Amino acid sequence: MQNKSSLISPVGWALGGVLAIAFPLALSSIYWTSVLTNILIYILMAVSLRTIYLVGEFSLGHVGFMCIGAYTSALLTMKASLPFALTLPVAGLLAGLTAFSLGYPFMRVKGIYFVILTVVTSESFRQLALNWKSLTGGIDGLIGFPGAGTLSFVGIGQVDFGGPNEYYYLTLSIVCVSLYILNRIEKSRLGFTWLAIRETDKMAGAVGINVLRYKVVNFSIACFFAGIGGALLAHSEQALSAMEGASFGIMTTIYLLVYMVVGGKRRFEGPIVGAVVLTLVSEFTRPVEEYQPMIIGAIAVAIVILLPDGLVALHTPFGRFAGLLVPIRPTKDRP
Amino acid sequence: MNGLALGWIYVLMALGLTLIFGIMHIMQFAHGEIYMLGAYVVYYLTASFGLPLLAAMALSMVVMAGVGLVLERFLFRPLKMDWASAVVGATGLTLILQSGSVVMFGLYQRNIPLLAQGPFNIMGTVVPKDRIAAVMAAVILSLALYLFLKLTEYGQAMVASAQSSEGAILQGINPNRMSALSMAIGCALAAAGGTLAGSLFTLSPYMGLVPLVKGITIIVLGGMGSLPGAFIAGMTLGLIDGLVPILFGAAWASIGPLLLVIVVLVIRPQGFFGHAE
Repeated sequence: MQNKSSLISPVGWALGGVLAIAFPLALSSIYWTSVLTNILIYILMAVSLRTIYLVGEFSLGHVGFMCIGAYTSALLTMKASLPFALTLPVAGLLAGLTAFSLGYPFMRVKGIYFVILTVVTSESFRQLALNWKSLTGGIDGLIGFPGAGTLSFVGIGQVDFGGPNEYYYLTLSIVCVSLYILNRIEKSRLGFTWLAIRETDKMAGAVGINVLRYKVVNFSIACFFAGIGGALLAHSEQALSAMEGASFGIMTTIYLLVYMVVGGKRRFEGPIVGAVVLTLVSEFTRPVEEYQPMIIGAIAVAIVILLPDGLVALHTPFGRFAGLLVPIRPTKDRP
Repeated sequence: MNGLALGWIYVLMALGLTLIFGIMHIMQFAHGEIYMLGAYVVYYLTASFGLPLLAAMALSMVVMAGVGLVLERFLFRPLKMDWASAVVGATGLTLILQSGSVVMFGLYQRNIPLLAQGPFNIMGTVVPKDRIAAVMAAVILSLALYLFLKLTEYGQAMVASAQSSEGAILQGINPNRMSALSMAIGCALAAAGGTLAGSLFTLSPYMGLVPLVKGITIIVLGGMGSLPGAFIAGMTLGLIDGLVPILFGAAWASIGPLLLVIVVLVIRPQGFFGHAE
């Protein structure tokens, strides 16, 4: 995994960046800008979900940490009237700290048990948000908290992020920075250790890696970015609800998993591709809205059976063919 | 009485889930949708063909067993080797079946005939007859499953396969046939549970989520793949569901079982009656 170069060349990344910057100006519709903002947020969610997969676990509770981040940021701006620049990192930190404290018991179990624990946890968070009436507004949800507002930067001065386009660019830059950080972590020694744990955790433990600690750190980092994603979502929609059908229900968590797997869980680009493609599929099937989950589900099932490495693996049938022609050189045993 | 009837319906769900997990090592997240489809099959049989409820229920169990066989052969058997893909396959199936039934059946709540009518007097307390009939049906089905596993050759083969799949293969037991059987039985039990719940309450395309979560809770508490564990945990959970709302309020009742799962999984990951891997 480590030595494979990125599939998408620097040119590709640059092209994607230019498109991301140009789209809202070219489309110039508030509706599409909000769709694009959501795509960015779900990209961040899916990529940070994949970070947990680096230690070999699936989480079906990512949306629960998104929920924590969203409510934290919304409540801080609403009740303590703190600026967004401060509530955003606080939202991430609170989600990360929750994950850190839950991580020690959770990461002792593996595989399907971890999946069940996480799905149960995110449902508990949602139920808590629904039942803690005095803080979260209960069934009515939260409305009327401010958007990002005006932020001041060193060297640039005051910038107003009130409008949808401005908020889109703010989200774009935050998501890009987050993706860069996640990518650097994955390529670092820390990410390498995570991969070792995923391949064989017993062996990793035997060579002196504190498996539990590394897994907890992994879970906390991933959930930190889930909290950031939640805060971004909260101030984009400026309304929060913890009802079953809203953003923090079990459907969103399934969708995030599907984005990651359909895109390809083995590569960093995978969840990005999956989130973009499937969100656009949902967007264009909006006229037949009741069929949407069916279409997404069918795509997920087809991909899992036919293309287990996801859409990004489509690029490389030639690579696999070449691999057959040129046998891998056996490593020489050292005496 | 509602709590007891619901508890037994959840036990039917949990028995199917734990049977499938014990043999195939797959968590069937779409089991709630099988439960919902089973109830809708009964609805159409009774409403359109005028079949009596019990006949419709039996037929629905057969139909859903067939669905289970198809799902096992074409979805879960190819994914059996990789638990992560199986999770995605099962959740994808949930999306397909749920939105499919929204499209086909609509979002109206429907009713199927009652199991029995009128109240019933036990030691001074008045109990609706249909609740008792539902509990009896669930008990009979659980007992039938127990006898099947205990007395028949196929049942013993399934138990062996759940205890040790390699050992069972060495004894000449075909693992694929056992998987197919577990899916068929599990889906038939889910259909029965859905029918019972549908006759007590109403049908809707989203009726499967709560029993699925309860079923998962039960099999985690009782130990994954353990049948006696599922019985005892199901009864315990039914008791909690009945008592906690009265003692502590509805909010705690919704979170209580979830907290219990977290505690049990952390302290004793194999559950009360499961054996460590």
